[in-house]
Amino acid sequence: MKLWKILLTAVLGVAFAANVAAQQTTLRIFTGGQQRPDVMRKIADEYQKRNPNVKVEVEVGGATSDSQQQYLSTVLSSKDSVLDLVLIDVIRPAQWAAQGWAEPLDSYLGADKAKILPTYLKAYAEANTVDGKLMALPYFADAQFLYYRKDLLEKYKRPVPKTWDDMIETARIIMDGEKAPQLQGFSTAGAPIEGTVCTYLVPLWGAGSDITKDGKLNINTPEARQPFQLYGRMKQAGVLPKNVAEIPTDRIRVDFQAGNVVFAQSWGYFWNRAENDADSKVKGKVGVAVLPHDKGGKSATCIGGWQVAVSAYSKNKQEAVKFARYLSSPEVSKMQAIMASHLPVFPQVYKDPEVIKANPWFAEALPVVETAKSRPVSAQYPQVSDAIRSNMNAYLAGIKTTDTALNDMKSRLTPLYR
Amino acid sequence: MTDAVISTSKDMSERKLGTLLLLPAAALLLLVVVYPITTLFFTSLHAVDNANPRAGEQWVGLANYFRAFDDDRFWHSLFQTVLYVVVTVPGALLVGLGLALLANKPFTVKWPVRLGLLLPWALPLVFCGLIFRWFFEYETGIVNDVLVRVGFEPLQWLSSPTLATIAICITIIWKASSFMALMLLAGLQSIPKSLYEAAEVDGASKWQQFVEITLPMLRPAIFVALIFRTITAIQTFDIPYAMTGGGPGDATETLAMYIHKTTLDFLDFGYGSALATLMFVLSLVLTTGYLKYTRRSASRSGED
Repeated sequence: MKLWKILLTAVLGVAFAANVAAQQTTLRIFTGGQQRPDVMRKIADEYQKRNPNVKVEVEVGGATSDSQQQYLSTVLSSKDSVLDLVLIDVIRPAQWAAQGWAEPLDSYLGADKAKILPTYLKAYAEANTVDGKLMALPYFADAQFLYYRKDLLEKYKRPVPKTWDDMIETARIIMDGEKAPQLQGFSTAGAPIEGTVCTYLVPLWGAGSDITKDGKLNINTPEARQPFQLYGRMKQAGVLPKNVAEIPTDRIRVDFQAGNVVFAQSWGYFWNRAENDADSKVKGKVGVAVLPHDKGGKSATCIGGWQVAVSAYSKNKQEAVKFARYLSSPEVSKMQAIMASHLPVFPQVYKDPEVIKANPWFAEALPVVETAKSRPVSAQYPQVSDAIRSNMNAYLAGIKTTDTALNDMKSRLTPLYR
Repeated sequence: MTDAVISTSKDMSERKLGTLLLLPAAALLLLVVVYPITTLFFTSLHAVDNANPRAGEQWVGLANYFRAFDDDRFWHSLFQTVLYVVVTVPGALLVGLGLALLANKPFTVKWPVRLGLLLPWALPLVFCGLIFRWFFEYETGIVNDVLVRVGFEPLQWLSSPTLATIAICITIIWKASSFMALMLLAGLQSIPKSLYEAAEVDGASKWQQFVEITLPMLRPAIFVALIFRTITAIQTFDIPYAMTGGGPGDATETLAMYIHKTTLDFLDFGYGSALATLMFVLSLVLTTGYLKYTRRSASRSGED
């Protein structure tokens, strides 16, 4: 009799547990180490509180956009269903659409698609739409800015530079005045990494040109030479770090925080770290501005930021899309802005008083982000990127001239734009 | 039953048992060697248009191989790989031999030397690359610090193709010589002491002992170490990947790095497989060469 009771309880218990398990969905989201997984965890906790049937696991991997994509290429090429959602770089949607890795969201959103798309910053609505299909939802925005040492500019009574030549001159004056051998005038990404693509593109766009024109390769122009010539002038003036060809993105911040950089070209995360990090020597001295341009040109900047894609191999697509919509909501945009100084993807969030209080420079950031440009959109973006970055890197290292770098770039890009 | 029947059935069952015992190893070899290499070669005869990958794989015959012959980047990475082999294999052998001789000295406390031998070997390649990248760093690196202290200008080690190659070679030799030393140390310890005692009685100098006893007796160990080192040198990836990422430009890129980039970054599996097949052929040729040479020299020393 007793045994019978125990058995019955056990059977009922198992049945009950199975029932709960059937209702409980586990979503696994992949994020890179640089995209503040701690903040993602807090957002996921909030989502779990509101949706007790969902459990979110945050998988963290890869310190750079490249290494994350290498891992994801392996997982997704083998059609592994382990990931439900993935944070992808703004440069990736075209490739993800072509490879069939991201689930198009149109059918899940239905009529909502037309309603929500116009609420985003235009560049992000466009970046995530490939051939009319919505491949991912924007998570946070990013762009490159000019960071500068307010204290040094004041000390030498120099205005924030508008043109590259102004900047070189100011950097030179400050370097000569400070006489600190460690001091670099201007630092930007120069190592053979993704960020170096922007190092080439920003001055190219500033000159009013682009890599492609009407879908055709467009680097037989005098403008395509201008970025090389600009960095050549900087090298001659001695304002670039001597080892600029070895500098990856985060090294710029480390040098700047140590007080060794006057001007830096970097992404949105920079300000928060330089102002708040315990070891920062430049707290309260960090200025942010629009990147300079050539005389007669217009300022341009590289768009960055991260998108939430739903894996085509996920087994919980409905729930995944729901979570993706939460991650891409004004509410989460605001949470990220306050917790991580991630730039919002909705224009109105930039004006939110709490956001402004945490990031006073966001009000000026909005016009910059609104005019930021996309790197070449291509299903074969990794090859495009490699052609640009390795030649920009070789030029900065001094092993290629403008002509050889541009010719080599052309010969690698030509087969990709037939 | 007669005895004859019993012994045949015993033979049969022993043969069966033998086959049975061989099966796991054979299956494992099929699974991890034969299957991947066949797949690799098969993939190398196909191509995917990554502008439109959903069109699927197309049979292209040997087109990927012809493409490699026209590809400057392939030739450069091959040259760079061969350069690492030519410099680091003898380099590691010399340093390793020195270390092994040192470790073989009758120290009363042997563990510090042996620990020193084991540590570089136990360190993962990527860590090693990252550590040496910091050593050769322009502003904060210890190498430039030493250069400045002795009155030289600091060098941009990782921004110049020549200096970066030198820095990478130094790192590889540092890392690889401890493995060499371990292999050679095992060889050294198998040389009977009596040979040296006899040589001493005959009045041979230390150098003569080294040339006439140590080197010939060490020959098999040296060859095994050389084969292992050459194969790993052909596959050089981690250290340059961590130190320069192939830069400046593609100057320090090895064949293995180019294959990694082609497959994992560019998703060009067909071409990447063709390059990998070529690398496999390269190791095969070099290893066969070594084996032929050792076999010939072994039979020659047998004739003596």
